[in-house]
Amino acid sequence: MNIVIKTILSRVFLAILTLLAVSMFIFWAAEVLPGDIAARVLGREATEEAKQAFRERLNLDRPVHERYLIWLSGAVRGDFGHALASQRSISEVVGPRLKNTIFLALYAFILYVPITVFLATISALNRERPLDNAISLLTLIGLSLPEFVIGTLLIYIFAVNNPIFPVMANVQRAKSFWDAVRMTTLPAITLTIVMAVYSVRMLRDNLIEVLESDYVRMATLKGLPRWRVVFFHALPNALVPALNTMALNLAYLIGGVVIVEQVFVYPGLGTQLVEAVFLRDAPVIEAIALLVSLIYISANLFTDIFSILSNPRLRTG
Amino acid sequence: MNHQKPLIEINNLNVEYWQQGRWVQVIERLSLQVFPAETFGLVGESGCGKSTTANALLGFAPRGARYSSGEVWFEGQDLLRLKPSALQKVRGRKISLVPQNPTTALSPGMKVGNQVVEVLLNHAFSRSKEEARQRTIELFRRVSLKSPEAIFNKYPHQLSGGQQQRVVIAMALACDPQLIVLDEPTTGLDVTTQAQILDLLRDLRSQYGMAMFYITHNLGVVAQICTRIGVMYAGRLVEVAPTRTLFAKPTHPYTQGLIASVPRISAPSRRQSLLLKGILRRPDLPPGCQFAPRCDFAEEQCFSQAQQLIEVGPAHQAACWRWADIPAFKERLALSPIAIEPSLSASKPNDQPIVEVKHLQIGYGANRRERFLKRKPTIIVDDISFEVYPGETLALVGESGSGKTTVARALNGLTPYVRGEAKYAGRHDLTIAVDQRSEEILRSIQLIFQNPDASLNPRQRVSKIISRPLAKFFKVTGEAARERVERLLQDVRLDQSYYNRYPDELSGGERQRIAIARALAAEPDLLLCDEVLSALDVSVQANVLELLVELQSKRGISYLFISHDLAVVRSIAHHVGVLYAGTLCEFGKVEEVFNPPYHPYTDMLLKAAPEPDPDHVMPHTRTDIGLLDQSPNTACPFAPRCPVKVGEICEQITPPWQIASQSHRIRCHLTLDELLPRQNKDYELKIKESIE
Repeated sequence: MNIVIKTILSRVFLAILTLLAVSMFIFWAAEVLPGDIAARVLGREATEEAKQAFRERLNLDRPVHERYLIWLSGAVRGDFGHALASQRSISEVVGPRLKNTIFLALYAFILYVPITVFLATISALNRERPLDNAISLLTLIGLSLPEFVIGTLLIYIFAVNNPIFPVMANVQRAKSFWDAVRMTTLPAITLTIVMAVYSVRMLRDNLIEVLESDYVRMATLKGLPRWRVVFFHALPNALVPALNTMALNLAYLIGGVVIVEQVFVYPGLGTQLVEAVFLRDAPVIEAIALLVSLIYISANLFTDIFSILSNPRLRTG
Repeated sequence: MNHQKPLIEINNLNVEYWQQGRWVQVIERLSLQVFPAETFGLVGESGCGKSTTANALLGFAPRGARYSSGEVWFEGQDLLRLKPSALQKVRGRKISLVPQNPTTALSPGMKVGNQVVEVLLNHAFSRSKEEARQRTIELFRRVSLKSPEAIFNKYPHQLSGGQQQRVVIAMALACDPQLIVLDEPTTGLDVTTQAQILDLLRDLRSQYGMAMFYITHNLGVVAQICTRIGVMYAGRLVEVAPTRTLFAKPTHPYTQGLIASVPRISAPSRRQSLLLKGILRRPDLPPGCQFAPRCDFAEEQCFSQAQQLIEVGPAHQAACWRWADIPAFKERLALSPIAIEPSLSASKPNDQPIVEVKHLQIGYGANRRERFLKRKPTIIVDDISFEVYPGETLALVGESGSGKTTVARALNGLTPYVRGEAKYAGRHDLTIAVDQRSEEILRSIQLIFQNPDASLNPRQRVSKIISRPLAKFFKVTGEAARERVERLLQDVRLDQSYYNRYPDELSGGERQRIAIARALAAEPDLLLCDEVLSALDVSVQANVLELLVELQSKRGISYLFISHDLAVVRSIAHHVGVLYAGTLCEFGKVEEVFNPPYHPYTDMLLKAAPEPDPDHVMPHTRTDIGLLDQSPNTACPFAPRCPVKVGEICEQITPPWQIASQSHRIRCHLTLDELLPRQNKDYELKIKESIE
């Protein structure tokens, strides 16, 4: 067990280092946004005194590294300061959006994992037969369609032609949890399709390789029924390499779904980030970027740890 | 002989594989029976259809294979036409399999104990999980696994190859099957482990009386374990006979050649005309006898007329209509000239050795970072000394993990840490890394790898592969290079048609010849041959071996020949060094090492090697002679496994070299007299004790 703890600790340590480096980069990047923040916020007519007072209040007169440390120590405690545009505290501004994003992400992820495993498994088991070819063709089409096309198509079919789901997914107006689920279904399906098309192909190939392996043949020749061979011998070994893609997809769901959010007018983090960039609202940009990288890095960290724990070779040294 | 009812019967089986867009026949009209309690051996070279036969016995059609006709009868059912659910009741329950490679056959993510429990529960052989667990532990005990409870909870990668194979055998035994199909069960294992597994199988057979179907390319192994043998060639059975009859009176020319090709420890010289010529080329097989193109006795009719198995003696059948005209095996053997004979030392006494190694220490892991952290390198080979003389072959033998390959890599400058003295031609330092060596040294030491599939660039043509050293060392290119390459091809007995081919258009033996030609292109003085024969079939092996001997006598090259196969070593080496856990335990001329007095480890290796002769009785080895521990912390590394260990002295004091002759030395606390087996009652006694 010792080795495992040591490995996990070193991974965690590395993750923290990465996060620090990322935070520096984010801060620096937000700093180099052109223009005087004071002038931008207070308007061109503001007096020099007012600007000066503004700068002092936001510590803008201090050197960069000091400001970074102040910002970082706040961020660690969850205090990202105030949004420039609205003057509200960042947690107030970002909080609800983050909640929405996580809701959508979890919804999509819960759809994504079983669908991927199911499709990949039946595809691999029917290798090069019509069913496999059909799935393969579908995933290929999915791969070549941009996500906004998929989203728009879904809206056209399930919201316009057959109004089962709403066109816009404004969850903030949802009356109940199930109402929110209903509103979020189309964006979640869009995201699921985007992620699954690639994963299904990958997992199918992994599975095919494992199904050809000696130990699967051995399991068959021990007289085990097919389902047992697949679920106990083939799938566990094929899934581990696919975990990494799944983790990356989870991270993608949190940070990179701007386009899908735009299509469905979904009030998530991605949209907010874009808005903040237009407004040059540095604190908001910094906060969202840091949050997203935190999620990215932790998702990777958890898959790492999970693959260490699920692989007896790594676990027992 | 056998009037009882066969346990399983293959009847007129035809198997086809889907290859390059068409069905290719790989097994043709195969019929054979296995009777209860017998051990039937199926031998043949790679690609002859042995494993396909194993699959058929389990009613298993791998992807891309189909049974075009024929039946496999077992308990009144045809296994090839059984529904999957019915097959599942037979597989693992009544017919079980021990596959070739236990390392890949065990599920990597499941505890080995549970993999056996799974079989027991699946066939409802045990009623509860706990009962299955108990039985599994009992099975582990039966296959002589030490501390079975602990093994139960291990994952496959935590076990050694021998232990893994025992687990797989336990799994095969789980439900008391009537037939066990063993597909090359000992091929990947060391000789000592192989001897133990063979022992175990014999014990199990006498205790439980199940039938075995034993597939192997190793004639030594079939001779030791089987009661009846079938010889397969290109998907057809060419001869079937009881073991003793087959080895005494092999009738089919292929069987004769096969038996003559196997190197023996006891009779190192080999007869040329009996060696098998050419190789099996599947696409150009004649409609008649498939062996005809390689047969010395083939007549026109052989090429057109398909052969059937016909009675040639009691319980003895061969598929050759000319069998009566072919001289008896013993006669052919006596008449034919000797092809490979271990030559006595070629060097003159005052020759300067080409390689001289003194107290060499080789290790890994001391790179810049680790030196900075003051970490010590892991020492793989410690304190070895030997010489290689011009035109001679020094063989290093030992089990896997003994450090043989490390020595070759070090002489080539490929290991990061080398201490001690290693001189080439008395002047050049060989302890320096490859990137600091002079062109001259790089040229004169060449390496041939074990696996030609991996050592030849698949994207380069043969011509490019062989001409590369010519361009590098001699600046020979263009037309001149072409001439040299063609001459080199001739030297390794390949014709010019190979010039433009790619490695994957060649067979294993041809590829190894290309690798040899590439090494020869540099005109080396020393060739490091790392297990160059182990990936090859016996008949090919014999030919490549002959080629190496011929090249040596023509060109006076020295070989450092690394091998685990004592019989091969016996027929090519002049000097032999026996390595154990990175130290030399015996060194001497070949005839000295292969004759008493032996180091106890040499003795163990020799006893473990199966001879292709059913009358050569292998001594019963200890059921657990332990495993090679790569870094034993005893002064004599062999002490933990030694059957004649003197006492604590072996663990605490590094044994001295016992000097048997000017050239022969043995590192042991026992004196030479004590090491002579016959003169030492005590030794024999101890061996016996260790058996019981």
